[in-house]
Amino acid sequence: MRRIDRHPIVAAPVGRREVQFSFDGERLTGYEGEALSSALAAAGVAAFSRHKKAEAPQGIFCANGQCSQCTVIVDGLARKACITPLAAGMDVRSLAGLPALPAADRAFAGAEKRLLSCDVLVVGGGPSGLSAAAELARMGLSVILADDKAELGGKLVLQTHKFFGSEADCYAGTRGIDIARRLEEELRRLPNVTILAHSPVVGVYKDRKAGVYVDYTRYALVDFTALVVASGAREKSVLFPGNDLPGVYGAGAFQTMVNRDLVRPAGRVLIVGSGNVGLIAAYHALQAGIEVVGIVDVLGKVGGYKVHADKIVRMGVPVYLSTTVVAVEGDGRVERATIARVDGSFRPLLDTAQTFEVDTVLVAAGLSPCDEFYRQARAFGFLAVSAGDAEEIAEASSAMFGGRIAALSLAKMLGKKVEIDASWIEKREVLKSRPGDRVPRGPVVATESWTPVFFCEEEIPCNPCTTVCPTKSIKLLPRRGNILDLPYFEGKDCRGCAACVAICPGLAISLIRRIDEAWTEVLLPYEFLADFEPGARLPLLDKDGNFLEDAELLKKTYYKKHKTWVLAFKVSAANAPRAIGIRVQDEASIRPLPEPRFEYLPDDAIVCRCERVTVGEIVRFVKENGVQDVNQLKSLRVGMGACGSKTCSVLLPQVLRRAGLDPAKVEPGTLRPLNMEVPMGDLVNEGGYGESGAAGRHAGGEP
Amino acid sequence: MRSYDIVIAGAGSVGVPLSYYCAKKGFKVAVVEKEASWGRGQNRAAIGGIRATHSDPAKIRVCRESIDIVSRMKEEHGLDVEWRSGGYLFVAYDEEREASFRKLLKIQKDSGLDIDWVGPDRVAELVPGINREALRGGTFSPGDGYASTLMTATAFHKLAMDAGVDFFFGEEIGAFTQEGGRIVSLRTRHEEFGAALFVNAAGADAAELAELAGIELPIHPDCHEAGVTEPVERFMEPMVVDIRSDSESGNYYFYQAVTGQIVFCITPKPQVWGKDKDSTSTFLPLCVRRMLELYPRLRNLKVRRIWRGMYPMTPDGFPIVGYPRESDNFLQAVGMCGQGFMLGPGLGRILAECLAAGGSATKPEGSTEYGFLFEELTPYRSFEGMELLK
Repeated sequence: MRRIDRHPIVAAPVGRREVQFSFDGERLTGYEGEALSSALAAAGVAAFSRHKKAEAPQGIFCANGQCSQCTVIVDGLARKACITPLAAGMDVRSLAGLPALPAADRAFAGAEKRLLSCDVLVVGGGPSGLSAAAELARMGLSVILADDKAELGGKLVLQTHKFFGSEADCYAGTRGIDIARRLEEELRRLPNVTILAHSPVVGVYKDRKAGVYVDYTRYALVDFTALVVASGAREKSVLFPGNDLPGVYGAGAFQTMVNRDLVRPAGRVLIVGSGNVGLIAAYHALQAGIEVVGIVDVLGKVGGYKVHADKIVRMGVPVYLSTTVVAVEGDGRVERATIARVDGSFRPLLDTAQTFEVDTVLVAAGLSPCDEFYRQARAFGFLAVSAGDAEEIAEASSAMFGGRIAALSLAKMLGKKVEIDASWIEKREVLKSRPGDRVPRGPVVATESWTPVFFCEEEIPCNPCTTVCPTKSIKLLPRRGNILDLPYFEGKDCRGCAACVAICPGLAISLIRRIDEAWTEVLLPYEFLADFEPGARLPLLDKDGNFLEDAELLKKTYYKKHKTWVLAFKVSAANAPRAIGIRVQDEASIRPLPEPRFEYLPDDAIVCRCERVTVGEIVRFVKENGVQDVNQLKSLRVGMGACGSKTCSVLLPQVLRRAGLDPAKVEPGTLRPLNMEVPMGDLVNEGGYGESGAAGRHAGGEP
Repeated sequence: MRSYDIVIAGAGSVGVPLSYYCAKKGFKVAVVEKEASWGRGQNRAAIGGIRATHSDPAKIRVCRESIDIVSRMKEEHGLDVEWRSGGYLFVAYDEEREASFRKLLKIQKDSGLDIDWVGPDRVAELVPGINREALRGGTFSPGDGYASTLMTATAFHKLAMDAGVDFFFGEEIGAFTQEGGRIVSLRTRHEEFGAALFVNAAGADAAELAELAGIELPIHPDCHEAGVTEPVERFMEPMVVDIRSDSESGNYYFYQAVTGQIVFCITPKPQVWGKDKDSTSTFLPLCVRRMLELYPRLRNLKVRRIWRGMYPMTPDGFPIVGYPRESDNFLQAVGMCGQGFMLGPGLGRILAECLAAGGSATKPEGSTEYGFLFEELTPYRSFEGMELLK
């Protein structure tokens, strides 16, 4: 089974019930209530179905209810596996071509309309939505918060790593999963709040109402005065040949399976994109016991925080810059990926190609805001604000502030007398700032007393080491006067408690103390399973991932609050101040094949996944028909699929450029409800709005 | 100034085919359109039905041409427009409806249409699972069908481009220059176009355009909403039309496209006048309820997208085709009452034929036999009565 039984951070859920189900007639086992997609992945199923065009295999792509690539037939009905909870006895079948509509011909049981109303509808229950809803409710406004997931917190629930930022403002040093729980508890304590979890908003209509697909079984209209759109972001796809093969999916989808569902869907991965998402995905993969052959980025510079990248490199993961994916190939699923360096115009240099045997390619090419409802609401003239990633892609820490600020500005528009604390705006700006300068650090010499050594040298918004230190002897360099400043050790008053080592989100602080002339004791953080005992020898690396020595482990201590081990090593005096990493991935697992092996077919990259339309097809159509309007691509069915152009719309500008057009001069596509498909019976609440009606409807497939 | 034989205002369901057929007849043609591309007005909002089964000779004739053109688009030009000859089925669940359908049937058969009464068993064969309670039967016309409005417009645009038609997109018409009861030129923000003949094919904006030339047309658009589902394997053939009304709505209709989706539409009650193209919250609960009452099997079918478009209505529900007294070189092909897509191809071919045969304000049909059509659809009729099969 591809299950993660032991994870260094996430506790295995207790009390889950094992159930039997079948996939194409084969009996499988999974956990009741888990996402069907994860149950299938845990059973080793990569190809869920075959597309109507060319019978191309399809598997997980977003694992987020957005893209529909994971559609299967569940008890006779086409369903997205990633939002279908597994139930005992489910008959799951792969979909080949178009699904058949079951002959469910019993008489119609009658419709029921349901109208809810509130002052403010908050779309999305992630960090910004939860913060905004709480702020609005505190001001006495009635709030409905709707979110598509059963568990609130948005992407926080996937974030098993410690947060940057500051402890006081945004839970720095705490893990996203724990932050989500706290925000939700806070919101649930407030009156005037109705939470509709597992209930996506599917449309915002001209008559100032929103349609909510409540619990994916019922349909309610919400009458609102104002709208907060905090619906987060979706992952961008990337154009490379083979980008549609099962096994190519978003880093967020990967985190969903690995961190939320504790499924190990991959053995070896290649990651595309070196932003924070890609870097963190690599770390999460290693924590889940999955090999990472490397991270590629077409740009010449790491996109994410340097401290993140350094951390990954120290685990033994190479980062290939100015490099692109030229082919992902395999029979029915990913079997190998080929990368090559690019020239100054980002064209691949095929003679530099290297092929890796991987079963998975994670796409972490950035995020695009889910701001459709905001744009729609503004076009209709409604009172609306956006917050979090739906407003601007940034860290979750700034999203929490962003949500509160958005709530206050909305309350102001609604006539409430509120003042927005100027310091909040400043904090939000600092928290979402891009990395600042790099400030190199001088050498540190070990003495008889403990000394912290800092390995972060790029300004990022982060300061928990300064607040956690019991003697307050870690300070920020007074350069900018905010938490972008880098920490330094001020006094001589270090007790060696290692609180800073354990809390640092970048794993970039060590403590050193001289033992004798030859040896120094070094305390290092470790966020993996520490299945070794004192006396073991582990490979220590420097900041840049260079091997220093195999050092003897003296002691291991678990810091429960931070779910982090602090390991004490005996290190040679020369290497001690430089030791910061412990290699977890051995070099053999990241080697390419001796010879590259690939076919280069760039026109075959899929742009529209729903309808399987390639780059080549679009370019040809644009040229033949004089297209100046994205809407005309609908003749190729581009954007007409189940996802509603969520994936392809982000890719189209590059394709249009390839066809010789200036994307800025091309008429954009039109947005229309619904944002997600809803069965007709559910839209009218056949048999009543209550649970029983829904349950009856979903029986489906009877003669 | 740019000079043409014919300048057509509007690159929609009517204008694009017309431009193609005119160019084929040897005219030098330009199409001026305010939208960024072709078919961006009501063409894209139309759901795609094409039927010859109307209640009057002109529309019957025009739509027979349309069916002939659209159904042969692929074999003739290699352009797929997703045509399917699935037929039209008007269902009757009460005596009154049955009687009126049967009465019409006589006129339709007399016009040579392939249409007949079918009993409940045949209806249930055509639409398996349809609600049979009180079902009396219906009229079925197997030669009618449906096509993709988008691909049909794209096909005509391609044919027109290849035939030498010049398209000017993003050009809103601002003014006409007139001299002695004739239009000399029309102006947009960037261009001025001179021509011997101007054609109003501006769909929902036709009345405003005519007004620029001092012509009053009784055209008032009303809004209709429509939707499309996920695609599924084919399970029904015809376009199903239920012309009953209830307290919230008038008729509604739906069919399964070649690509497998159910496309559906309803007439709201009361009618919503105006040009609002933004979707409302009332459409889905209303239209879906009526569809499920008729056809419960659709309950598990997922709705994918909805939109809203206009029916450019005339007082009697029939189009206006002809020359106004105020400008004898300003041909009107307007007021399609929501049937521009099915009328457009046939009307384009017929009008081009008339023009090539010397048609003009004094004798619109020229040397052709289409006089009856201009007589029926003249702008100067009484506009009394109402289309029976709107």
